[in-house]
Amino acid sequence: MIEHDIPEQSLVLEVVIGFLYPFMLLLGFFIILNGHHTPGGGFQGGSVLAALFIARYVVYPVHDVNSEKMHMFQRIFIALILLTPMVFLFTGFIHRFPEYRSLYLLVMNVLIGFQVGMEIGVAILRFAFFQGVGKTWRL
Amino acid sequence: MVETITILLMIVFALLAIHSSMLSLAVIHLTVLSLLGAFLYLLFAAPELAIAEAAIGSGLVALLYLASLKRNKVYTIAVLAEGHNYRMTDAYLGYMGRMRAIREIRKFFQRREFEPQIVFSEKSLEEALKYPAFDLVITEEKTGISAHGSSESYVLEELEMMFQFHGTESRVNIVRHDLGEEQP
Repeated sequence: MIEHDIPEQSLVLEVVIGFLYPFMLLLGFFIILNGHHTPGGGFQGGSVLAALFIARYVVYPVHDVNSEKMHMFQRIFIALILLTPMVFLFTGFIHRFPEYRSLYLLVMNVLIGFQVGMEIGVAILRFAFFQGVGKTWRL
Repeated sequence: MVETITILLMIVFALLAIHSSMLSLAVIHLTVLSLLGAFLYLLFAAPELAIAEAAIGSGLVALLYLASLKRNKVYTIAVLAEGHNYRMTDAYLGYMGRMRAIREIRKFFQRREFEPQIVFSEKSLEEALKYPAFDLVITEEKTGISAHGSSESYVLEELEMMFQFHGTESRVNIVRHDLGEEQP
């Protein structure tokens, strides 16, 4: 994208969001990864990660993220969320080895976090770049 | 005690959000409201909900509102410095009246849910009219101001009607330019 195609942005927003961006990323991953023994978890951390998309849109409103591909990845994560309990719980793995319980919760939190982040991110991007009346996306 | 104060503050910010004149100010009040809500969840021993409320209520929703406000409805009013060629004493003569007129125009757009944004520019009138980011161009004259806009803009007619009905101390001219014919 050429530089002069981007409309001028407020400098205050640009500087503040540029400063906060890595901290938001860190906070999102912190909430996801510590979800099994402190407050937080997949959904909360995922929505913090989704806030990154809209923060990026506010500063740099260019449609260069392929939302179709992101939507597909999110579906793969849904499949993994359904598959992981089947592997860990239904086979009796957790009951035989209770020390792997926190690992199981960690894996579930990471999967749910990525899924929620991508899902809300896709919804936000489609809201932000929605133009015209006739254009729709399948969900 | 703390719970009661938080709930009362939430009511205050909800009322502020309803009664604020600018939409972006209402968004900020809503953000404070949901931040207080997150604090209330924390007081009632639900930290998981508090994190979700803080991330969604004050992070996502506020940014979403700001983004959708930014997408359209920003109305840029350019005030040209061109009219200051006359003597300095004349420049200060009608200053208060002109400022009041500009403030009235700004209030008019605020009432119509636009986000008026006043910029000062050193462009000439022809350049400013062709510049796509300016929706309304105001030049200052000795006795009043004149507002230049596109003839297709329906807002300009309502602005003219408002000045006809209410009247102002300084004179406000509305000049319409047919921009379509100037650029074939």
